[in-house]
Order: sequence, then structure tokens, then C-alpha cells
Amino acid sequence: MSGFLILNGLVNGIIVGVLYSLIGCSLNVLYGVLRVVNFAHGEFLIVGCFFGYVLFETFGIHPLISVPLAAVVFFAVGYGLSYLLMPRLSKADDPETSSFLMMYGVSLMLGAGMLMIFEADTRTLDFRFEPISVKIGVLYVPTARLVALAVNLLVVGLLTWFLYFTLYGKALRAAIMNREAIQVVGVNIHRLSAVAFGIAAGLAGITGVMISLVFPAFDPFAGPDYTLIGFIVIVIGGLGHPIGAIVGGVIFGLTEQMATVFLPQAMAPIVGFSVMILVIFLRPRGLFGKVQQR
Amino acid sequence: MAISAASEERVAAIRNGMWYGLLLALTVWFALIPAFGGNLPFFFYLMLWVTMASAFNIISGFTGYMPFGYVAFYGIGAFTTAILTKKLGVPVYFSLPIAGLAGVALSLLFAKTLKLNGIYFAITSLALAIIVRLVITNMPEEITGGSFGISLGSRAEPVKSFYVMLGTMLAALLTVTWLARSRLGMALKAIRDDSEAAEAMGINVPRARLKAWMMSAFFPSMCGGIEAWYTNVVDTGTAFDVLITAKTIIYAMAGGLGTVTGPVLGAVIMVWLDDLFWQRFPLLNLFLLGTAIVLLIQFMPRGIVGSLMQRWPKLRRYIM
Amino acid sequence: MLKVEGLSKRFGGLVAVDDLSFEVPRKTVLGLIGINGSGKSTVMNCISGLYRSDSGRVTLGGKDITRKTSHDIARHGLGRTFQVPRLFHRMTLVENLLTTVLDSRRKNAELVEQAEAILDSVELHGLRHDHGEELSGGQQKLLELARVMMFDPDMILLDEPFAGVNPSLCRLLIERIQALLGEGKTFLLISHDLTSIYRLSDHIVVLNQGRKIAEGGVEDIKNDPQVIEAYLGTEAYDG
Repeated sequence: MSGFLILNGLVNGIIVGVLYSLIGCSLNVLYGVLRVVNFAHGEFLIVGCFFGYVLFETFGIHPLISVPLAAVVFFAVGYGLSYLLMPRLSKADDPETSSFLMMYGVSLMLGAGMLMIFEADTRTLDFRFEPISVKIGVLYVPTARLVALAVNLLVVGLLTWFLYFTLYGKALRAAIMNREAIQVVGVNIHRLSAVAFGIAAGLAGITGVMISLVFPAFDPFAGPDYTLIGFIVIVIGGLGHPIGAIVGGVIFGLTEQMATVFLPQAMAPIVGFSVMILVIFLRPRGLFGKVQQR
Repeated sequence: MAISAASEERVAAIRNGMWYGLLLALTVWFALIPAFGGNLPFFFYLMLWVTMASAFNIISGFTGYMPFGYVAFYGIGAFTTAILTKKLGVPVYFSLPIAGLAGVALSLLFAKTLKLNGIYFAITSLALAIIVRLVITNMPEEITGGSFGISLGSRAEPVKSFYVMLGTMLAALLTVTWLARSRLGMALKAIRDDSEAAEAMGINVPRARLKAWMMSAFFPSMCGGIEAWYTNVVDTGTAFDVLITAKTIIYAMAGGLGTVTGPVLGAVIMVWLDDLFWQRFPLLNLFLLGTAIVLLIQFMPRGIVGSLMQRWPKLRRYIM
Repeated sequence: MLKVEGLSKRFGGLVAVDDLSFEVPRKTVLGLIGINGSGKSTVMNCISGLYRSDSGRVTLGGKDITRKTSHDIARHGLGRTFQVPRLFHRMTLVENLLTTVLDSRRKNAELVEQAEAILDSVELHGLRHDHGEELSGGQQKLLELARVMMFDPDMILLDEPFAGVNPSLCRLLIERIQALLGEGKTFLLISHDLTSIYRLSDHIVVLNQGRKIAEGGVEDIKNDPQVIEAYLGTEAYDG
């Protein structure tokens, strides 16, 4: 095995890994505050892909301008969805499992909806950066991937700053730690939940645009694959833990890309799932979570 | 209290009479379908979904787990049957029970996951189902037929497989009926409601939930096998289709998890609706299935039968 | 009957129970008191096997139950209630009681009859076909006691049995507990309601920050200056 391939795997692992971190962050903000595991996250992402795609194809809008636009639009939709879906759900016998199932329904709706609107064709964002690739050492890395890495790192940085250094972010983290206590302190949990849902959706929008830059193609069927990647990432990092998601994303990205270096293409997903199941049994609450079993 | 005991017996007699009467009527009706040239595929799949939803009810409605990879049992049953019948020439009447046992074996392999809490269990179960599919897809073509799957050749016998499906459905329904009134069933419900408290009351939680898990795995594997026999072909794409899990959950939930009649009613209504108009628009079908899930969870989380019982608690004593 | 030696339990850096020892002789009531967060419930959860203690030994009727699972301990004859009632909320009251006797060799009809008699004795017979979730808070406490009565263990752990219960139900609870005492049961009782605990207990252990700060008969404890300082001083805030 040549060192070149391994190096290539490492670089791609980090680029893809940071993207996965964003997927995980979104899922964990939502799970942390609302105890909702977003089964529809993959579809959210693909909608994000189409968002950037349509803006570019019809209005010629630069993908990097689509990023903040996606963030705002998706935030608003998520904020609204929270008020629409959450109040009844929180009264269910088992809110966690119910919400998981409900988001599966949303995922089917979005997947089918996209198929009806955009049909089953595979799409490619036909946008080229100049130069098309950059030479780093012995490797040529596509500029689009580097730009995506930079944007993703920026978003991760902003999210961390928001969660740890702003009042609202601290309230969100407090809600993740103890949902009951924060209501006693007089925080409006419904609005906070809506903000969390908005942030999760906004992150999905950004990630969606980034996916169309990092990966060569996307189609309406791809949603569940990304959802599963997200699940693996948050289980590795610990459910409901934003920082855990960042670490989990990078670990999984590296594992997956290195697996494609050493193993046949078809076997690579098995490695990812095996890592997840290993983590579940060795540290049931993930790398950053507390252990609790029944 | 003597009077109460007597009326109690009468209530039980009414309840059992209604339920077994319904079962008998259904059996006679279904058994006559092939002879009278009824819509064989419709009733075959109706029975298949009643079986799937009822078996799912054992681990979900009674025990409180949400196995999102439930399709794994179905898929393993389909492939076991196909490989045994086609590649090894085992008579199909032997391969089917073996397929059921293969499902039970798989459930034992996954038994450790029962320790996991709600959402972790659901995610792990989903991941395991995908792993099983990937492993079968990547097995040598001589065994599993690779991505093309296995054709059972001239072995399709729709009428015979129809009757075997009927028998399997009855077995599943009688199992659930027994369970609902048995001590094991009571232990399972206690585990569902509060597993720690159940343990403190002296219930052997790991043992009880393992039994439920195994029972719940046997029937979908049988279904997978019988369907393979019925359609004559098996491939990983359809045998491990996530939608099989989705439909099972939705049908069971629509009727009411944790009740015997709920999943039956849910499956009948949904399969009927499916046949009536959804099937003509495959895309819309998926969309409507998704919508049905969201609306159910929002407005009727306990399903039709469950909601009726919640509204009129007295019904609980008359409906299984 | 129940003997706890050197029991310790920590959660991360927090020491919840620190080297605690006490003994409950057969057919007596031990009251375990202390302010909120003093480790009372943790002690109970360690004994019943819900938590795994970090060190120490628990014996029940001479048998070591320290490392046993919760259901094994229950099978050894230990029944309990929970601070916040943990009923089987989607099972009928009769079923709630029957869950404790699933291994019994007796006939179902006979067990149902016994369950109904017990429900009658705690004035819940009229609700026997209702689901657990349909009960009021006080009724839930009664059902938990009824469940333990059905289970019929020799050693009974009661966690805050009187919290949030109105006076008339409270009287009924005390009556039932005294009847069980008459049948020769042994009790470990946790409560911060001192009136009822003084009335029922033979012996009292006072906990503060996971440590035993006093032990003795009811009169000794009532007059112990350390207890008044650590416990009753703050009781005033609770109203």
C-alpha cells in the first residue's frame, strides 16, 4: 500500500469528517434540547443540495452565497416546524421513540416529495472554482473540497462560540443538561426548543449546500444514507453532545475514507457500522456521554 | 366478591367468544378464497401483513422496544428458504420452519442489544439490519445470487403458499392471544411500563424480554420465506427493504400496539386502503405513508383500538 | 434481618453514601431520616440492587445480596416502593398486583381473588379494572403498598410512603403498615415527615451528606442536639 494513497485517505477523511461533524452537530442539538432523533435529517440535507442547485441553475447565485441564504430559510422552517410538531408529541407515552418514528414519516414525505418535483435523476452542481484544484505537497485537492472544509470549520467554530459564549447558547446547553431545571429558572422552553429546531435545520441547509460541493452528485434517494451516517456519528460521540458530534464526525470520516483505501468499496460501510456497534457495547453512551443501560 | 367473580367470568366468556368467533369466520372466509377464484394476491399480502404486525406487537406493543431493523428477520427468512429449496433441494415444507428458526437464531445473535435503552436500541437495530443486508449482498454469488438474487425456478405454488400463509397467520394470532392472557405477557407489559420496577418486583427481565424477542423474530422470518415461495424470487433489495419495517410498524401502530386486535385491524384497513387507491400512484403512496405516520403519532398515538379503550375504559374488558 | 456494613456509593466526584452501617432486626421498623440530598434514596437503591454499590456488604436474613441483580434480591424476599411511584401505568390495578407473583405455583383464579382482597383492604377495589395511569397521586402510593403486600416479602423498603398523600389516605397507609408489622414483617422506612416516622419506627438512623450522624431510639433522636442542628434546623425552611 503506497503512502500516497494513505495520505490521500487522511486528507479526504478530514474533509469528509468535518462535514459529518456538521451532520452530527445538527442531530445532537435537536436531540439534546428536544429529545428528537431526526430520522429526516438526510432528506433535510438533500433539500439543502437542491436549494443550492436551484439557486445556481436558475439565478446563477454563487454557492457560497447560497450558504447564508440556506441557513436563514432553513432556520425559519425549522422554527415553525417545532411549533407545529412538538406540542402534542411531548405528551406521548414514550416521546423519544414516538418522535423517532414521526421523523421517519417526515423523511418518507420529503423523499417522495423531492422525487415528485425533481424526479429520480442524479444531479451535479456544475460550478467550478478557479483553479479547479490546489497542490498540497504531493496531493492535488479539489478547490471545492478545500472551500467546503473552510466553510465547515467556520460553521463549527461559530456554533461552538454560540453554545459556549453567548447567553442563548448557554441556555441551550443548560436545556440539554436538564430540561426540567431550566424551566424553573424562567426560560421559555418552547421558544428555546423552536430555536434549537431552527439551528438544527439551518445547519442541515448549510451542510446540504456543502455536500453538493464535496461529493460529485446527489439524488432524492440519498437521504437515508446521510441519516445513517449521522446516527453513527452521534452514537460514537454521545447522543445530545455537540462537541462529541464533532469528534465523532472526524473519527467516522477518517475510518470510512481509510477503509476505502484498504478494503473493497462494498465492504467500507460495514466498517462504519461495526465501529458504531463496538462503541455502543464498550461505551453505551458514546465517547462523551454517561453510561446508562436498562 | 362471589358475584363479581361470576360477572367476571361472563365478561371473559363474551370477550373470548367474540374474538375466537371472528378468527373462525376469517379462517373460513380466507380458506374459501382460492376455491372461489378470489383475489389471491390481495388476500395473501393481507395475511402476511396481519402476521408481521401481530408478531411485531410482541416485542413492541407488549415489551416496549422499537426494532427499526425488523426487516432483518424477514430478509433472513427469505434467503434461508431460497437457498435451502433452490441450492440444496430441501422440500419447501422443511425449509420454511428452518427459515423461522434462522430468524430466531439471528435474534439470539442480537440478544445483547436488548440491554440498550429506547433510541439506542432502535438505531442499533437499524444498523444491524443494514449489516446483515451488506453481508448477504457481499457473499459469493453461488450462495446468495449476488445482486441478482435467487430465482426459485418452477417451484412457485401460489395456492399452497396461500394456505401455508393462512396457517402461519393463525399461529401468530393464537400466539399473541395466548400471550396477552399469560403470565409471560404480564411480565412483558410490566417491563414495557417500567423495567426497573418490574425487576424490583422479582421479574427476571432479561429472560422474559429474550423470549419475546425470539417469538417476535420467528414469524417475520416465516413470512419472508413464504413470500419468497409465493413470488418465486428473492433479492436483497426487496427482502431487506426498509419499507417492510416501516409498514409493519405503521400497520401495528394504526390499529393499536399492545392490544391483540389492534395490529389485525390496522393491517386490514391499511392494506385495503393501499389496494384501493394508493397502489396506483407509487410516489404518492410513499408520501401518503409518511403523512399517515406523522398524523398517527400526532393525533392517535395509541392507534384505533388503543384510543377507543382510552376513551371508554370499559371496552378493555371486552376487546382483546 | 437486614444488615448493611460499610456501604459506599459515589456518582462521579460526589460521595452520595459514605461508609454507612446499620442493622434492622427482624419484626422492627428502622426509620432512615435526613434532609433532601442526604443520600436516603441512594441507600435504598443500593440495597434493592437498582444501583451497584462501590463498596460494603448487604446481607438479608444472613444471605449476602450485595452483588445480586435486582430481581434476585426481590426473590430473596425484599420488596420495595419508590419515592415517585413507579406503577405499571398501562396495566390494570389487578394486573399491577399480579406482576409480583408470576412465578407462583398457585392457580390464576386464586391469585386474582387474593389481589382483589388486597385492593379492597386499601380501598381501591372499585378501581380494580382501571389502569395505573388513571390513579391520583395518593392512590398511586396505596397501590405501591398493595403491590408489595401481594408480593409478600419478609423485608419491606418504603421510600417516602407519605409524600403528597392527604391525611385520610395517610391514616389508611399507617394502618396497613401496622397490620403488616403484626404479621411479622420487617421495615426500612425513609421519610422526611417526622411525625409519621416517629410514630412507626422502633429505631432511627439520621443521615447527613451520606454519613450517619446519629442513631438511637425515637426519644434519643428527638433530643439529640446534633440532629436538631443538622436536620430540624433546616426543616423550618421546608415549612
